[in-house]
Order: sequence, then C-alpha cells, then structure tokens
Amino acid sequence: MSLDSLMGIGKNGMSAYMTAIQVTSQNISNVNTPGYSTQNVVLETAPSTAGNNGSLLGNGVQVSRIMSSYDALLQKQLDNAQTTQGYDTTTANALQQIEPSFNDVANGGLDSAISGFFSAFQGLSVDPTNQTARQAVLSSAQTLTDNFQSASRSLNNTAATLNNSLTPLTANINSTLNNIAQLNGQINSINMSGGNTNELQDQQQQLIQNLSQQLGVNCTTNSNGTTDLYITDNSANPPANYYLVKGTVAGSVNANTTNTNKTVITVTDNSGAAPVTSNAMDPTAATPFYTNDTSGGQLWATLKLCDVTIPGYQSQLDSLAKTIVTTVNAQQQAGSDLNGSAPPATVAFFDPSKLTAATIAINPALTSTNQIAAAANGASSGDNSNALLIANLQNSLSMSSNTQTFNGYYDSLVSKVGQDVQTANNNVTQSNALTQQLTTLQQSNSGVSLDEQLTKLMQYQQSYQASAKIITTATAMMDTVLGLIT
Amino acid sequence: MRITQNMLASSSIYNLQQQQIKLSNLQTEISTGNNINQPSDDPIGTNTLLGIGDQLAASTQYATNITNANTFMQVTNTALQGMSDTMQQAIQLVDSITSGSSDQTTIQSDVSQLQGLKQSMVDYGNTQSGDQYVFGGAVSSTAPFSGTSPYYSGDGTALNVNIGPSATQQMNITGNQVLTGTGTSTPYGTTNILDTFDKLITAVQNNDVTSAVGIQAESQKLESGMTQITNAQSDVASRMARLTNAATLNTNTTNTLQTIAGNIQNVNYAQLAAQLSLQQTAYQASLSTTSKILSMSLLNYMPATT
Repeated sequence: MSLDSLMGIGKNGMSAYMTAIQVTSQNISNVNTPGYSTQNVVLETAPSTAGNNGSLLGNGVQVSRIMSSYDALLQKQLDNAQTTQGYDTTTANALQQIEPSFNDVANGGLDSAISGFFSAFQGLSVDPTNQTARQAVLSSAQTLTDNFQSASRSLNNTAATLNNSLTPLTANINSTLNNIAQLNGQINSINMSGGNTNELQDQQQQLIQNLSQQLGVNCTTNSNGTTDLYITDNSANPPANYYLVKGTVAGSVNANTTNTNKTVITVTDNSGAAPVTSNAMDPTAATPFYTNDTSGGQLWATLKLCDVTIPGYQSQLDSLAKTIVTTVNAQQQAGSDLNGSAPPATVAFFDPSKLTAATIAINPALTSTNQIAAAANGASSGDNSNALLIANLQNSLSMSSNTQTFNGYYDSLVSKVGQDVQTANNNVTQSNALTQQLTTLQQSNSGVSLDEQLTKLMQYQQSYQASAKIITTATAMMDTVLGLIT
Repeated sequence: MRITQNMLASSSIYNLQQQQIKLSNLQTEISTGNNINQPSDDPIGTNTLLGIGDQLAASTQYATNITNANTFMQVTNTALQGMSDTMQQAIQLVDSITSGSSDQTTIQSDVSQLQGLKQSMVDYGNTQSGDQYVFGGAVSSTAPFSGTSPYYSGDGTALNVNIGPSATQQMNITGNQVLTGTGTSTPYGTTNILDTFDKLITAVQNNDVTSAVGIQAESQKLESGMTQITNAQSDVASRMARLTNAATLNTNTTNTLQTIAGNIQNVNYAQLAAQLSLQQTAYQASLSTTSKILSMSLLNYMPATT
C-alpha cells in the first residue's frame, strides 16, 4: 500500500471514465445513424494486489469491454419482415399502375366500349339502310379497338418497365453483396488484432437489412465475427445451398432478360473451387426456386409480375378480343351487305388475322359502310335480321366455355384486378405495420436513448471528477509527507 | 419497454401518415360522392356496378329502339288513316253510282275521281319514314307500289326490333297485307284493293252494273277492303300500346337499377362528415401531442455547465 497506488486508482478511474464518456459521446453522435446499435461500456474492478498485512487491496476500475446491444434474433426477424415488405410494396406499386386502365367505375372504359359497339348494331337494326347508323357502327368499333389497344399497351408498358428494372436491381444486389464481403474481410482482420468491430458489424447488418428487402437471404455468423449469406434451393433433393457471400468471396445474381416475358434469374456461387451457376428463379418452371413467394423480396415480386401476373391479365384481354373478333366476323359473313353480296363474299368486320388485344383492328378491306352486313343472307337490303343477330351477340354466353357474356367476362377481369390490388394494398399495410413494430422493438433494444446517454454522460463526468479528486487528495497527502522531511 | 427519442419520432411519423391516409380517403369519397372510386376499393361492389352499368346501357338502347319504332309506327298509322279516308270517299262515290249511268260526262267524271283515289292509295302505300318505305318490307331502295298489276314490288319481310331483354316487336306492316291482300300470310283480309279500283274503273267505263266484275260486286269488295285497312289500323294501335308498355317497363327497370347502383355507389354524406370530423380531431390531437413530446428532452433541464 502506497500513495503511488492511490494515484494509480485515481488514474485508472479517470482513464476508464474517459473511455466511458467517449463511448457515450459516440452513442449521442450516432443517435440518427441507421443500423447503429447503442454501445455500453462494461466496467470491472482492476486486478487486486496483495497488501502488507496479506489482505487484497483493490486497484480501482478498468474497462472490461465495449458491448454492443445488438440482438441477432430481432435483426433476423426484421430482415424477414423487410423481405416481405419489399415483395408486397413492389407488387402493390406495379398493380396500382395497372388499375387505372381497368377503372371502368369512374370513366367509360372497355366495358362501355363493348356495350357501345353492340348498341350501335341495335341502332342499325332499327334503320338498316341508314348511312348514319352504319357510320355509328364503324365509329363504335373504332372506339372498341382503341380501348382494347390502350388497355393492352398499359399492361405491356408496365411489364416492360418492370422487366427493365431487373437489371439495375440485380446490379444493386451484387454491389451490396460485394460490400458485405469486403466488410467480412475488415471485420476478420480487426478481430484478429483484438480491435472493436461493433460499428463494422452494425454497418454490415444494415447492408443485410437493405439486401433483404430486395432478396431474401439466410445468414450464418461465423466464430470470427464474419457473416455468410446463402439461398437454398428447396426444389433440389437434398436442398442445395448457394452461397452469395462466403467470407470475403461474393457470389452474384443475374437477370437473363434476353427472352421477352420469360426472364430467368441465375445465382452464381463463387465460394467453391469453380463457380456454380443455377437458375434460381424461373416463374414458369414447375417448381420455382422460391416456394414461398414473399421470401424472394423485390426481385421475385418484379419477376412474378412481369412473367406471370401481367401476362395473365393480358391473356384474358386477348381471349376477349379474339372471341369478339371471331364471333362478330362469323355473323357478319353469314349475312348480306348493302351491296347485296352474299356469303362468303361478305368481307369480315374485324381484321381476321389480328386476334390479340394489342392488334385488334377493323378489317382494312372494309372500306365502305355499305359492307356492314345488316341483312340476312340473300334478303333485300332493308332487312335487319343479321344486325339484330350481331347485336344479340352481346347477350350470348360466348366466354369462359359458354358461361359468360363479353361484358360479364370483362367485369370479372376488372373485379380480379381490383381484388389483386386490394390484397396487395392490404399486404403492404400489414407488412408496414409489422416492420414498424419490429423496428420499434429493435430500437427499444438497440436504439440510442438521448435521455439515457445524457444521464450517463453526467454520471460518468461526476465519476471522472471524483477520480480526479482522488489524485488531488493523493497529491495533498504527498505534500504532507514531503512536509515531514523539512 | 425502453423508449428512445427515435422510436417516438418514427412512430409519430408512422401514425401521422396513417391518419393522413384516412383523411385522404375520406376526402376522396366526399369530393367524388362515390364509395367506389377504383376497382380495388370494393372488387365485388365494382362487379355489381359494372353489371348494372351494362344493363343500364342496354336499357338506354332499348329506349332509343322503342322511340324509333314508335316513330315508324306513327308514320304507318298516319298512312293507314289516309288510306281509310280515301276508301271512305271511294265507297261514297261508288254508292252514288250503284245503278250505273249512260251519260258519258258522268262516267268520265266518276272514272277520273276513282283514278285519283286509286293514285292516293298508291301514294299512301309508298309512304316513307326517313328513307325507309314503311310498307316495303325489306325492299327499301325502290317504291313498293305502282298503279299497274301486280302493284306490289316489296317483299313480306317482318322488321323486328329489340324493345327489351329478349323481347322483340315487329314494327312494319308489309304493303301486300294491306293493299293487295296477298303474300304468305294475310292476317287482315284477302281483298286486293288496288285491283278492285281497277275493276271498278273498267266497270264504270263499260257501265257494267251486275256482272261478276260489275259495279255492285266490286263495291262489295271495296267494303271488305275498308275492313282490311281497319284491321291493320287496330293491329298497329295494339303494337303501339305494347311499345308504350315496354317503355314504361324499361323506365321502371332503369329506375330500379339506378337506385341499386346508387345504394352501392353513393356516399352517405352525414356519416362521412361525422367520420371526417372525428378524424380531424384525432389528427389535430396527434399533431399537438407529437410536437409537445418531441420537444421534450433532458437537455432542456441540464445546466449550461455542470
């Protein structure tokens, strides 16, 4: 026991509280840094030394370690929630772009165009030789084809935009993967030299969280503090793991957009001796890589929208357009036109070679309103029975294996789009709420509380002052001792 | 649970956002007056509305068809009335000469009157509604009647028009049924009125009173011709009555459909106004508490130097 050791206790205390204040300041400064976890100084008593009388005397305080309040389980849940949110948000945004094209509630769209077309034939049936009524039929047919083409174009544009977004999306994913792999290298080397990697790990977790929104990944943490990322192909037996990050080696994700409307996502695992590439996501495959939709995040949502959902709507529109073209043409060609030409000389009403919603058009050969066949085959020009038959096609069950009318079929499609948008919107609301909830939990666990840090700041400052007081006291005692000498 | 300032801030933002969304939805509903503004608002209601919209469009078309058919029948009726008046004149004229006359002046006068009346019948037979010959059947390009046998060049086509869901009504009467009593069906009678006129003219010219084609025999046919036209008139009248019924039915259907659509689509303003006011209060309360809570910090109570 000596005055020196008293000085030592004071010095140790000042040093420990200096570190504590430094950590607290770091916490306060990073209050708004995304992904930052509050760090806490863990203090412990310094190793004791044996006193003169054999008792152990303390040597003051020392910093044991600086602990991050990061919770791996919460983080994992948050990552998963982000993946679902990425999937739902992408789906909802894309579907909301499509919805206005089917919004027949507010404005007269395809639904009223179909009604209008057949109404025009009703009008013609009342006055079959009237040129105005004939012109009205042609105009309403033009409106019908325009509406079909516009709905189809809107679907196509949305699908094309989504398809184009796949390339930057995968590029973004790959750059994140590379960053995570780089951080692995830094974490490993700092850990080897015994340094503090809390901030680096926070950064890495933040990157993984961002990545999760775009693509769901599994992660494992190694003993050296590094994190590996992989995705699992559950369709293989046994399930195969593809590493996207293993140590400092990053794999890659690529979109093969060469084949229109059938984009395939491939993953390349670079962790082995030779790279392994696999088709990770092929929405047209029997067993897609991602058995659970939402685990694929933004990437899978985008792929599914442009390869499955939108082509699905498109094919329903096409089927409607095709049936209208063929049934109207068949009835038109069964009648006689104003020029008296009987079948099969009567020209088709719609271009018989254009059987999709995108291309549907009035037959270019139909150059005169006289060519509309309002009369029955061989009947005089004033006969209206064929016009009536065409008008009545509106009420015939021509769609869905003869169970729905044209309007009914289209109304179901509108309802389906509405249902899909509603579901997507509800999902977004739910996953937003879940993310918010988990973020709150995570913040509660790891976030920086300014009040708490300020309290600690004052507490550590007082302790620092107290430690300094020990040194002042020791100095005074030393002076006393020195005074004895004179 | 440990609460941090950031949690307060982010949950405030989240909750304010949610309230903004609710306010915006209420605002949309109030300003448009519609419950359903896009299919995703209510997919099932949308389907019902679209179905009703299709039926309403059809009803509008039926109403137009009924109006047009009605016009056509009015024209037909006017022509038949004209024919009936002409026949009346002819019958009066013939009644005055049932015993014939040998005075050439009288004969000339009667013949020219009869010829004039016959021409009137032909003219009435060629009546047009718009550019359609109402008595021509499907033959619309040429006048269906001429003054010489076989008189009628139209056909027997019935022109039907849709006046309701799977309800059709024939709107025309073909000329051969009225004036020549020929054709596949002769619902009004079989008298060839124009032929009767021609025979009467010949009989008067020859002062033939009693033969099979004499004045007395033909005047009988003129009477049955009159009945034939009256029959046609009453048929047109009953068809017009059916059109009136169909129009009433159509209007009722339209009103019912509009009421149903209104029940689905029209917002309840009182309810929305109450909701809006509640939502506004909640939003203002959130704003007020947010600004109060977020401004609180230990920093406010720490001395400048400790």
